[in-house]
Amino acid sequence: MQPEDLESRVLHAITRRHFFERCGVGLGKTALTALFAGDSLFGSATGRPALDKLHVAPKARNVIYLFMAGGPSQFELWEPKPDLQKLSGQPIPPSWMQGKRFAFMESFAKDPPKLLGVNRTFKRHGQSGAWVSDCLPHTAGVVDDLSFVQSVHTDNFNHAPAKVMMNTGTPIFGHPSMGSWISYGIGSESRDLPGFVVLQSGRRGPRGGALNWSSGFLPTAHQGVPFRSGGDPILNLSSPPGFRPAQQQATIDAILDLNRMRLRQVGDPEISTRISAYEMAHRMQASGPELIDFSTEPEATLEMYGAEPGAKSFANNCILARRLVERGVRFVQLYHTDWDHHGGAGADLDKGLDKVCLEVDRPIAALIRDLKQRGLLNETLVVWGGEFGRTPMGEVRDTVGRNHHIDAFTMWFAGGGTKPGQTIGRTDEIGFSPVEDGVHVHDVQATILHLLGIDHTRLTFKFRGRDARLTDVGGKVITKLLG
Amino acid sequence: MLLRMAPLVLCLAATQLAAAQASLEEKRFFEEKVRPLLARHCLGCHNNRSRMSGLSLESRRSALLGGGRGPAVVPGEPGRSLLVEALRRTGELQMPPAGPLQSREVAVLTRWVRAGAPWGLEAGEDTQPAGPSHWAFQPPRQAAPPPVKDEAWVRSPIDRFVLARLEAGRISPSPEADRRTLLRRLSLDLVGLPPTPREITEFLADTGPGAYERLVNRLLDSPHYGERWGRHWLDVARYADSNGYSSDGNRPMWKYRDWVIEALNRDMPFDRFVTEQLAGDLLPDPTRDQLVATGFHRNTMINEEGGIDFEQYRVEAVVDRVSTTGEAFLGLTVGCARCHDHKFDPISQKDFYRLYAFFNNIDELGGEVSVEQKNQRKLDPMLEFGKPEDFARREAIRQQRSILEKELKAYQVELEETLAHWEEGLPREERASIAPQIRESLEIPPERRNIYQRRVLDLFFFAQDPGWQARREGLKALQEAEPTLDAALIMRELPQPRTAYVHLAGDFTRRGETVDPGTPAVLPGLPGDRKLNRLDLAGWLVSPDHPLTARVTVNRMWQRYFGLGLVETEADFGSQGTPPSHPRLLDWLASELVRQDWSLKAMHRLIVTSATYRQSSEARPEVSEVDPGNRLLARQNRLRLEAEIIRDAALAASGLLVSTLGGPSVFPPQPEGSGQFTQVNRKWKAEEGPNRYRRGLYTFFRRSAAYPGLTSFDAPNAQSTETRRNRSNTPLQALTLLNDQTQTEFSRALARITVARGGSTPSQRIRYAFERSLARLPNAEEEARLQSFLAHMGGDFGARPLGAHQVTGEAGAGQAPSLASWVAASRVLLNLDEFITRP
Repeated sequence: MQPEDLESRVLHAITRRHFFERCGVGLGKTALTALFAGDSLFGSATGRPALDKLHVAPKARNVIYLFMAGGPSQFELWEPKPDLQKLSGQPIPPSWMQGKRFAFMESFAKDPPKLLGVNRTFKRHGQSGAWVSDCLPHTAGVVDDLSFVQSVHTDNFNHAPAKVMMNTGTPIFGHPSMGSWISYGIGSESRDLPGFVVLQSGRRGPRGGALNWSSGFLPTAHQGVPFRSGGDPILNLSSPPGFRPAQQQATIDAILDLNRMRLRQVGDPEISTRISAYEMAHRMQASGPELIDFSTEPEATLEMYGAEPGAKSFANNCILARRLVERGVRFVQLYHTDWDHHGGAGADLDKGLDKVCLEVDRPIAALIRDLKQRGLLNETLVVWGGEFGRTPMGEVRDTVGRNHHIDAFTMWFAGGGTKPGQTIGRTDEIGFSPVEDGVHVHDVQATILHLLGIDHTRLTFKFRGRDARLTDVGGKVITKLLG
Repeated sequence: MLLRMAPLVLCLAATQLAAAQASLEEKRFFEEKVRPLLARHCLGCHNNRSRMSGLSLESRRSALLGGGRGPAVVPGEPGRSLLVEALRRTGELQMPPAGPLQSREVAVLTRWVRAGAPWGLEAGEDTQPAGPSHWAFQPPRQAAPPPVKDEAWVRSPIDRFVLARLEAGRISPSPEADRRTLLRRLSLDLVGLPPTPREITEFLADTGPGAYERLVNRLLDSPHYGERWGRHWLDVARYADSNGYSSDGNRPMWKYRDWVIEALNRDMPFDRFVTEQLAGDLLPDPTRDQLVATGFHRNTMINEEGGIDFEQYRVEAVVDRVSTTGEAFLGLTVGCARCHDHKFDPISQKDFYRLYAFFNNIDELGGEVSVEQKNQRKLDPMLEFGKPEDFARREAIRQQRSILEKELKAYQVELEETLAHWEEGLPREERASIAPQIRESLEIPPERRNIYQRRVLDLFFFAQDPGWQARREGLKALQEAEPTLDAALIMRELPQPRTAYVHLAGDFTRRGETVDPGTPAVLPGLPGDRKLNRLDLAGWLVSPDHPLTARVTVNRMWQRYFGLGLVETEADFGSQGTPPSHPRLLDWLASELVRQDWSLKAMHRLIVTSATYRQSSEARPEVSEVDPGNRLLARQNRLRLEAEIIRDAALAASGLLVSTLGGPSVFPPQPEGSGQFTQVNRKWKAEEGPNRYRRGLYTFFRRSAAYPGLTSFDAPNAQSTETRRNRSNTPLQALTLLNDQTQTEFSRALARITVARGGSTPSQRIRYAFERSLARLPNAEEEARLQSFLAHMGGDFGARPLGAHQVTGEAGAGQAPSLASWVAASRVLLNLDEFITRP
């Protein structure tokens, strides 16, 4: 953040009060208070959200983003393609491949890629009649709450850059992620938890690691904070050995008192910020254990998600995500790895895919139902998708799988002001490219911001001489998705 | 007063401020004649951020609105315009403070006001790029330091520039900080460590003339100076110990880090420092050190992900070198011209790719890459270190290995032939006893098995053969016997240079025209009669008349001492950056750097011995009203310490610091589960020996899962160059300082040393620990607060001996409750805002 002068601070305060008192478009009383207060002359944290007011009426308050890392196959899960079945085993006509680039492309010369049919059974489900394969029987039960987009496309065909693209709007590493932009723009409603929380399950973390939830050039206060579902949810949340709550309290009191004395001597407002940061840290220590204590969850809820208290699983993370948004956390992102089904050992489209579907299917359906039952789905946008999809062509390794595909893949959205029970976008007969309503990653990002009340072209930050934004120079709101 | 102004602003805005439509001719007059004058003489203070006296001259609207004294410009009426009055110096207000404009310049501005103050291109309008007349493209002017009224305050020429501005605004500078504050400030700034109790005593005892200068010299001579200022440079160099991107494996980079420390400690002239890093390999008969220096531009990331197009990531690395060179030396956002001509600065896309061509010929992987190349040459070019016999031994072992590998393969082929036979003869019971994962494959008829299943069975069968086992063991032993040699990533030119193209819209698959290496057209050029290389580029950057390199360098130094540079946008000296607050001082410093033969230590000495630097940092509310950002420097600024220095200060205060210089990066304890959120959960085995307590800059830096204690305090993520760190202030920082295991160790050590050496009474000990931490003694109120805390905790732990033992981490009986309360008090000290702040 750039230092701000006194005058604009004062004016800003006036505008804010005006906004709260008179304007209809608001997020509620505490909405515009970022958890990580700070008002630093040379520093970066800011106690205020960057936006004085929302640009459009918000439909969603919070986001739960289910990031299926590795690139799930749209063909095995969502999109039956009779022509692809018929043409299975035939080489793809070279004209389709002209000018396209793929991962592992060097192998194409030796082994021209052949189209690959799908070994799964599809059925229509619900009132909406959405197609879902037998991989996801539970999700099939909630399709009427989902809105599918089958025509998403992206720019990069390698995992790490594509993930970073999906999160930050550019494949260049080190830019702020969506959660950081949102936290920066509108803050969070939680007073004792970070506004942007990251959860992880599966065999390993996502490629690129912390760069996926980095605050980039935005103030560090807006970075995604990884929570663990077991042990300390946040690093260093437990007091050191031997310090019980009373001693921790006494210690923090002494720190605060001495800081106040210093503040009186030198008059640096940064010290007041430090004092509030310690007060908030203390509140986090108090609320953290309660947050991850699932003992208050009814048995039936745990059963519905397939969760076991204390386990490190996607199911537990889904419950945790719901608990986080209940407590006002703005943006929760769940990573679940191992969707990269090239056909290597253990990574095939049969057992490999079954395994990961089994891990996510039931918890996802439960999350949608649970949010709905609690009246939270209206205001919580749930996003499902990977960094790209998979090719209509097969790839032969130890077994058969599919390569990374960036021209068309499926994502779905639920709640948060989206129109449920529809499918947007259509691809050609073999699912190679969109033929209707193509949706770029920047459009997805613009839409998520829009649902939160933000015009993606107006949430900017001066960086390297230009007004940088999440959607770079692109982005169109997917109007068909809006309810 | 400010509150009262707000409604006025609204009224004005509604009525008379609708911008008059200026004709094209008027706009041109403004852009060519008026804007450069405003930029050079006014905007340093009167911009949208600083708004000195409430006035910004960045737009017509804000000029007409004016500031605390009323409208600056009344269109058509020079006689009523405060701007003209101040420039003519006829009334009370006389601007600019540094001295009158030439009468020709005053005439231009007067004419402009008379013409109705037509503005040029407003923000948002499609702008023309800044022309060659932009201030930063002009060579620094050799301005003589201006006269001042209060001669007695001046300690260095720097002070004249600063004081002249303050006097013009009728602001007095702050008094000099007290000696303890100065000692702590200087120690933290120059070596990144707080003063030891002995250093405090010595400095306080040295009351003779020149004591301060002696202190400065001692600190500049300390080897820790190179660590402190080396780390600043490593931010710019985007240094890290791993490759970045996806799997983010280790890379041997620390020799470059040590080269930087060593070069700064020797006060290598900055022109040399730049040349060796950009082109050390092209110097005649380069030394090994000069090759290691070229690691600067090998800090680019390397993608190890499967299925990538190597050329794509090679191109990314070259692009990063161009952007880094632009920001680090030119202070220009050259990277903006990758896809199209720069929107605001005169840098064309072709300029970008001409710079690109300098860095395009490194012998690194790109284009078509075979699997062998990928495995063997991933990090090339590399320089390895070792005795000749080490190399010989490694070569011998590698040869031996390749022979044995061939033998093993042949043996396997033989064995495979007997596999079918073995399978047929396998008794039913034995078959049943085989592990299910293997039996699964066995049960598939041989002709229907896939590659994977065949491989499983092969291995299972081989593993039971003693001959195979012996051969495998032999190979393994050889592998382990292979010596690992120290190495460094360096630059090496390809014998046959790659052709460089303009990449249409920044896409490397779309080639435009070919380009030769060259420098941006707007800047003084290089002879064009031969093909240029990186050595030419380096020579060009550090030529004495280059308008940018010296300015950018001194500005960044200034920023480290005062929190902000004279040019606040330290990496953007272009038209979108903020103009300098003290343009003549900036130019004077830049010329001085060249005059001092690019000696950085000379510049440090010049800045830290100035009265400007030595001022107290205490707030002055009356000055903040007119200068809220403290851009006039009527006081010093308190600055939160950098991530590494917070650790270093705690290590020093607690007496744990192991001050060894350099060497491979180290692994201090980090909270459990820190690396769990990345693709490869790499091991982090916390050091048990002396390396547990090394300075923060030696902590192993993994890009995808950086050490949490560093990132919470805004250490850069090493993805691209970083010329200024954020200074955030967050609850996660509080949690780190309160609860991290390393902090527990620091507070225990500070407690032990306090009890052992700090005297016998609580009061003596409090003063001892306080001084160790903050280099000053507590006042009565502070001491009383710590007394009562100690008494409270002592009572608490006395009633709970088990808790006391947990706190001290020591088993034996005896004084546990008392020691535990000292651990608690030490913890308080190490958490104070003052502890993590440069005063």
